[in-house]
Amino acid sequence: MSEVLRVENLWKSFGKQVVLKGVSFSVKEGETKVIIGPSGTGKSTLLRCINLLVKPDKGKIFLDGEEITRPGIDESKIRTKIGFVFQQFNLFLHLNALENVMIGLIKVKKMPREKARKIAEEALLSVGIDESLWKKYPAQLSGGQQQRVAIARAIAMNPRIILFDEPTSALDPELIGEVLKVMEDLARKGTTMLVVTHEITFAMKVGDEILFMDGGKIVERGPPREVILNPKHERTRRFLSRIKELYTLEGS
Amino acid sequence: MEPSIESYIPVIFSGLQYTLILTFGGIGLGLIIGVPLAFLEVLGPRPIRIFISWIGRIIRGIPLLVILFIIFLGFPALGIKLPPVPSAIIAIGIRSAAYQSQLFRGAIEGIGYSQYEAALSLGMTKWTAFRYIILPQALRIVIPGWINEFTIVLKDTSLAYAIGVSEIFTQAVHIAQVILDYQTPLLIVAAIYFTITYLSSLLANKVYSKLMIPGLGGGIRR
Repeated sequence: MSEVLRVENLWKSFGKQVVLKGVSFSVKEGETKVIIGPSGTGKSTLLRCINLLVKPDKGKIFLDGEEITRPGIDESKIRTKIGFVFQQFNLFLHLNALENVMIGLIKVKKMPREKARKIAEEALLSVGIDESLWKKYPAQLSGGQQQRVAIARAIAMNPRIILFDEPTSALDPELIGEVLKVMEDLARKGTTMLVVTHEITFAMKVGDEILFMDGGKIVERGPPREVILNPKHERTRRFLSRIKELYTLEGS
Repeated sequence: MEPSIESYIPVIFSGLQYTLILTFGGIGLGLIIGVPLAFLEVLGPRPIRIFISWIGRIIRGIPLLVILFIIFLGFPALGIKLPPVPSAIIAIGIRSAAYQSQLFRGAIEGIGYSQYEAALSLGMTKWTAFRYIILPQALRIVIPGWINEFTIVLKDTSLAYAIGVSEIFTQAVHIAQVILDYQTPLLIVAAIYFTITYLSSLLANKVYSKLMIPGLGGGIRR
């Protein structure tokens, strides 16, 4: 399988604080990689670097073998190939669900309206948003529905990889399931995904590899079962036990 | 002989066309200049941002009457000689641009970086993101403030009296000087300003509730 994304020795600091300290990994076509780790360890910054929203200080990022961190790259063009799903959904507030998915196709991919509409409708149906919700504005949708529309917006662009930045962290517990299910479907269909999340069960079900990040570094990596059930590092163990405790409490 | 009210009311109204030309010319010019300035002040490169914010600060710090006189009486020394009406439109327009850019800047900043970031993530350029994501939201949020600015511009057109534009206030004063009664013509002209102001805020509320989208701009109004 070909390599879609490769991150080489990425460094980033904000002022005096070093957020990323030499992160390297790659994602192959059809793979789902899951990044876990305590907050403030640079996971979001890492995703933002890949999406070129944040410029790394050092290191290189390759998309389909092309270095996208080199100066003079057409950032907008690269971003059309990288889907991004935000923690806070970030749907366009002045557009209804359907228009949210269509706008990228029309204004970026320059598709005719009718074609864009067709693709958008298919994308929305694939995430379980049916016609009755297409004309609703984001504020009229539940968080779970909003996030599913946001996922539809990303997949409609047919990107090479989709980055998820804690996609369920802003959701009420009862709405998390519907979003995770959509993401699991995507993973099973062979979508290339890089997911930052605290959802350990999701990682176990569909993750091909887990990267545990702490203090701006990848501390441990491996198949989900290995990392989650049998972590080698003390820091991984501590983090996982806290997460598990939280989820058992929630479950009881 | 005491002239009847009927005889001089049409004279005041004859100035209405100039009042409206100055108002729409001024607010229009302010809009055309103000929106790009707001865009650059928020999203432009740092030196441009600083430059624009200082230009705005300076213009907002000068009384309109002074700007008006600089353009009408000062510019001829530079070889730029403009008739009263264009001078007034430019003066009012420049001043309004400085205020409108602040209005739009506030609206744009109020929309939040995350909307902009989401637009960029789809592959939109800075400009496309501004045009199709930020501006449509800003235009809605800005309506009440913008109508307020419109009414300020409307009332400030009366300053064009000072350079001899025959708008409604000028007409009223001239009539007053002829009939030796200031009270009636001035009350009439006041009533005209008030009526236009009141009607435009009614219209603004209608437009606002029609265009407003649930959840936009904080959205106390649903």
